[in-house]
Amino acid sequence: MAQTGVQPKPRGFWKTHQKTLAPWLFLAPGIAMFLLYVIFPIFESIWISFYQWDGLGPKTWVGLQNYRDLFADDSFYTSLKNNLIWLVLYLLAIPMGLTVALFLNQTVTGIRLYKSLFFFPFVISQVVVGLIFTWFYAPDFGLLPKLLQALTGSGKDFAVLADERYATLGVIAAGLWPQTAYCMILYLTGLNNINPEQVEAARMDNAKGLSMLWHIILPQLRPATFIAFVVTVIGALRSFDLISVMTLGGPYGSTRVLSYFMFEQALSEYGTAMGYGAAIAVVLFAIMLVFITIFIVRMLSQERNS
Amino acid sequence: MATVTLKNAKKQFGAVEIIKGIDLSVADGEFCVFVGPSGCGKSTLLRMIAGLEDFTSGSLQIGGKEMAKVESADRGVAMVFQSYALYPHMTVKQNIGFGLKMTGHSLADIEGRTKRAADMLQLEPLLDRKPSQLSGGQRQRVAIGRAIVRNPEVFLFDEPLSNLDAALRVQMRIQIGKLHHDLKATMIYVTHDQVEAMTMADKIVVLHAGRIEQVGSPLELYHRPNNMFVAGFIGSPKMNFVNVEAGTGSSLKLPGGGTVKIDGMKAKLSGKLTLGIRPEHVELAKKTADANVSTVVRAAEYLGSETMFYVTLPDGTEAAVKADGLAKTQVGDTLLLHFPPKACHVFDPDGKTLHNGDLSK
Repeated sequence: MAQTGVQPKPRGFWKTHQKTLAPWLFLAPGIAMFLLYVIFPIFESIWISFYQWDGLGPKTWVGLQNYRDLFADDSFYTSLKNNLIWLVLYLLAIPMGLTVALFLNQTVTGIRLYKSLFFFPFVISQVVVGLIFTWFYAPDFGLLPKLLQALTGSGKDFAVLADERYATLGVIAAGLWPQTAYCMILYLTGLNNINPEQVEAARMDNAKGLSMLWHIILPQLRPATFIAFVVTVIGALRSFDLISVMTLGGPYGSTRVLSYFMFEQALSEYGTAMGYGAAIAVVLFAIMLVFITIFIVRMLSQERNS
Repeated sequence: MATVTLKNAKKQFGAVEIIKGIDLSVADGEFCVFVGPSGCGKSTLLRMIAGLEDFTSGSLQIGGKEMAKVESADRGVAMVFQSYALYPHMTVKQNIGFGLKMTGHSLADIEGRTKRAADMLQLEPLLDRKPSQLSGGQRQRVAIGRAIVRNPEVFLFDEPLSNLDAALRVQMRIQIGKLHHDLKATMIYVTHDQVEAMTMADKIVVLHAGRIEQVGSPLELYHRPNNMFVAGFIGSPKMNFVNVEAGTGSSLKLPGGGTVKIDGMKAKLSGKLTLGIRPEHVELAKKTADANVSTVVRAAEYLGSETMFYVTLPDGTEAAVKADGLAKTQVGDTLLLHFPPKACHVFDPDGKTLHNGDLSK
């Protein structure tokens, strides 16, 4: 109760501004880390890409020379082409994931077990996936050559990862395994959110099978498709670990992608071209930025519409 | 337009029997309401007619044709769902026309029929909107439009008004009634709200635990319930039940020593029985001599047009009394009640009706 004659003390600075300051205080650690470990290195990489530098010795300013070299380098175009192949074929994970999800979206005893088995490849490390597929393709003891042998009579000499024509496809096939599982989980969640009464209403409206899928189910899975598309595109562009485990970029550099090429040039045992590597990273970043911008613009416009 | 006939319809989910043998026939153009407490199987029964649930056994005929194993789209029925189940990615127009598109109607035909349905439901200004841009009542109308446009022989409604507010519910009730009058189609309507059932139905089917308790017109069920369940379920507020004992002749001994003599009683009364009387039929007595029972007022609601008294009988039974709006009795006061014999129902210990005090006769 306020006493008569005594002016109550005004609220302090903190009390008055708490609502506006508190969010920033909570965000501060995150923002600091993000600036230090993400934003700053991006600009540093761009800066380094204008130098010739072995990582230890003095830096020499070369301007755009690294980029001129890069655009004249055949290895760069091989990597770029492989990245495009990755991008296109990796997207197969979306329809494949949808198919598996539709198949698994039923109430049968033990369906949880099947779901977790299908999800399993996403849980295990990419390195393990790479190893399994390397063994699967191995010409001497692998399952694939044995299968081909049994089916066609020849195939013992068919070495997927040692053949320039098939090596990249072989690595992508390995990558599709966990990526399909990821898309499947996204679609299973989406399917869960569909109102069963809508499906029933569509049944009464004579929609069945594919027409049901096309007119009723797929349009409602659009958010899931969008997320699946984003993670698959980004996953394809930053593919690295499988190549590193399965082919080391070979044979003859034919399975290199930009990220692996950058690693080779700048960070591997024999790579000391820091400036050149940074230039590759900047190009990869620019390509990613195109997609990320598209995604963000789309997301923002969706948010505005809803 | 068609009749709907169910013969010994049964439905089991695993070992649980939900529908325990239903025989029912709904006449052509009739407005039939399934009513019952939640879990009584009314929605399941409707979904069986719609073809969304299979029959475990029994038969369903629509317009004389056996339909129990026919695809739901081929049964000539249309359904309005409780959640409306509008397709969120389609405009109102596409929602209404979708069924026609799926059955291969020409674009011009779809256009014309959609327009006619939209006219009937005042939906024209909304045709290009998405369901998310509509209010509850508008969504409800779109759901009905989607049913109308297919020209079904039978309309099925699954608690269509339960998501609307009270004022809108009354409005939609009237609109559906008008629609029934205009289309002259057979309609089957599921609700748990007995007011909806009473106001809309030509025929009410009271369901309880997977069985039909009684079928009849609203007033038939109100005046002549077959058993205590129907007596208690139909009518609002609920019928009062008082434990009584058979006296001499056709008189009943009430708690507190009073008696009621039932006129025209055919059954022979003996032992413990239940007397049922609706709150609106109980009269207030001025003198002890006119009263059957003396009660104490526990709560009172003065509504202006009427007053509801919630009273306790001498044996602790609680009862409701609908009295004149000018009644002045207060909580804690004694209220003398008179039970007009013509309004008294008598039930045996199993809940079966022994006597209906039919005021309409």
